[in-house]
Amino acid sequence: MPRPPERRAVVARLGSLARRARLAWGSSLRLRVLAVTTLVGIIALMLVSVTLSDRVRDTLYDQRVDEALADAASRTSLIQTQLDNTTAGTPAQMQTVAAEIIKANQSPGSGAVGTLLRRSPSEAAGIPIDFTVGSSVELSPELREAVQTNTVQQWQPIAVTTTSGSGPGIVVGAQVQIPDVGPYELYFVYSLVPEQATLRLIQQTLVVAGLALLGLLAAMAFYLARQVLGPVQRAAHAAERIAAGRLDERMSVAGRDELATLGRSFNEMASSLQDQFERLSGLSKVQQRFVSDVSHELRTPLTTIRMASEMIFDARGAFDPGTRRSAELLHTQVDRFESLLADLLEISRFDAGAAVLDVEHLDVRVIVRRAVDLAAPLAERMGTTLVHTEPDEACRADVDPRRVERILRNLLANAVEHADGKPIDIVVSADERAVGVSVIDHGLGMTQRQTEQVFDRFWRGDPSRARTIGGTGLGLAISSEDARLHGGLLEAWGRPGVGATFRLTLPRRAGVVITDPPGQLERAHEDVEPEPVRHGPSPAELPDLEEL
Amino acid sequence: MTCTILVVDDDPAISEMIGIVLASEGFEAAFCQDGEHAIEVFNEVGPDLVLLDLMLPGKDGIEVCRDIRRLADTPVVMLTARSDTIDVVRGLEAGADDYMVKPFKPQELVARVRARLRRQDHDASERLHIGDLVIDVAGHRVMRGNEQIQLTPLEFDLMVALARKPWQVFSREALLEQVWGYRHQADTRLVNVHVQRLRAKVERDPEHPEVVVTVRGVGYRAGAATS
Repeated sequence: MPRPPERRAVVARLGSLARRARLAWGSSLRLRVLAVTTLVGIIALMLVSVTLSDRVRDTLYDQRVDEALADAASRTSLIQTQLDNTTAGTPAQMQTVAAEIIKANQSPGSGAVGTLLRRSPSEAAGIPIDFTVGSSVELSPELREAVQTNTVQQWQPIAVTTTSGSGPGIVVGAQVQIPDVGPYELYFVYSLVPEQATLRLIQQTLVVAGLALLGLLAAMAFYLARQVLGPVQRAAHAAERIAAGRLDERMSVAGRDELATLGRSFNEMASSLQDQFERLSGLSKVQQRFVSDVSHELRTPLTTIRMASEMIFDARGAFDPGTRRSAELLHTQVDRFESLLADLLEISRFDAGAAVLDVEHLDVRVIVRRAVDLAAPLAERMGTTLVHTEPDEACRADVDPRRVERILRNLLANAVEHADGKPIDIVVSADERAVGVSVIDHGLGMTQRQTEQVFDRFWRGDPSRARTIGGTGLGLAISSEDARLHGGLLEAWGRPGVGATFRLTLPRRAGVVITDPPGQLERAHEDVEPEPVRHGPSPAELPDLEEL
Repeated sequence: MTCTILVVDDDPAISEMIGIVLASEGFEAAFCQDGEHAIEVFNEVGPDLVLLDLMLPGKDGIEVCRDIRRLADTPVVMLTARSDTIDVVRGLEAGADDYMVKPFKPQELVARVRARLRRQDHDASERLHIGDLVIDVAGHRVMRGNEQIQLTPLEFDLMVALARKPWQVFSREALLEQVWGYRHQADTRLVNVHVQRLRAKVERDPEHPEVVVTVRGVGYRAGAATS
């Protein structure tokens, strides 16, 4: 059955409220401490109040009943004595006398609010001298029967209505013998209204005291929570700042209590952490420094070797075949050694975090075109062609052209090497957040496992396959670092026999998070037409960073 | 006329090798192994160009370069093992015209040396106006009114390149090719640093340049002639 909309809205509102409350409950220890303390306080106070007021009521009641019984007994015997001593002869006279005696005994201050005289129904004879003085009450048949059959005092709680209001009371009954007339029932009515008032006052006092105590309890809980949680919170903040890299962050410690101990322990931990970290980073700095220094120290002799080999190579025409070949080998290997050294240096720069991005807002298409043009001779030599597709609009992004060009150079060289003579697609695509460049070959392809390792340093896809173009084995690792430096992505996809795709994604502006990279990466089947190029908006519509 | 080139490098092997390469191209080479004596040798030899290693024992290359600049406008090409450090920019700011990162090829070395030694052929009667300055191309002088402004040959070439085509905005790459003689992509910091140095000499207020004007995102152009 569908709920009516307003009910649904209410349910939804309640749901959100409950969620918020749960969130607050879960996230604030202070709230929990406060709530638990208050709740326990309320329960304890309620228990104490209820027990206390019960006991007070019982005691007050018992006392009053005892008093009333004693009072009633003494009056009954007094009235009996007076009745016995009366000289009246006739029942009519007797009635008058009894009434007078009873009226005389109805004195204020004794607590009795009324006196009732009832003739026992068993005595059929005689004149009825039922009468009532003061407040009257409805006597229950059970009480009357108990009074009639027993000679001792009987009593019963009862509701009393007096001139000052109604309330609880008791009625006490006993038999009296009126001479010549027979047994009568004499009842005294006592009001418990004053006792009830006393009880109410006590209860009110208890409630007020309880509320005050509860407030005090809550305040104390709040204060204690703050006293205890304050340092904990400060410790948490300090820990956060330390986690954020501010290792010199410390807590202020005062006194010698448990919280000061917390602060001291925290500071000790932070100090040891800082020491450890500094030692480790010092070590790694030394290591990086060493790699960098070695690379640099190698450069001067390498320059000499290079120039010497160049001179020898230029003069190789004058050598015998063996020496000539040696000169050629020396020449190419010096080149290789040099590019290895350069790549090694570049990697050490990334490792040291010394690589800096020199960004310009450029049209990536231009960089891609240039890289494709530069790679074309190599592709031709390897018997493949480069098929270049790009959107009509400029794909401008914040990029370091030198690094992007290097990435593309590496991707293209890699594709040419593995294309197996089949054409290579280079597809530029863009959306409002990022620019993508996919380099798609239809050659040997790679396995899933290989795509995961392809960016590893000095990794070789197939050790048994000779490298035709060369390369240092660091090219893709450096490219991946270059992409990361831009805040971009370099991803690989491959299937054996289908081919491989490398997709470079560069954010349009620094800091833009790429969620759904434009451009193609995966291919379902080889015979499927490549996805049409997604065209981005014109750069004029490029949103600001804040809007993304 | 043979040109003399002073090679200041503490590594004797590379100095000797550079000497061999330069000799094979018809240059004469002089050598100095440390920074302390570089100026002494410089004064003694009177070279047409200095190849100066950045890291030298005693006095480092940057100081030597500054000292040379104080004495003469001789072109200085720095040799460095590190291209990524602030040292390159400091060296350029100290007055070096160009730099080469080790390891370099002999052809590259020779090309750079030739580029720096090459005098741009200037039309004898040519007078150019840029901002409130007059360039006397033949006399190799830049005048503001009657006052002559001292520029190094490279700075002069930079000014002339801009002033000859005042309608054109030059990209840094174009200037590198035209003034430095680079064919391929090179470090555009060269241009930035030299424009700064040039501005310090020719602008009335280097903060608000009127002679060499920056065109954001593109490059530089000559300021409109006012005289």
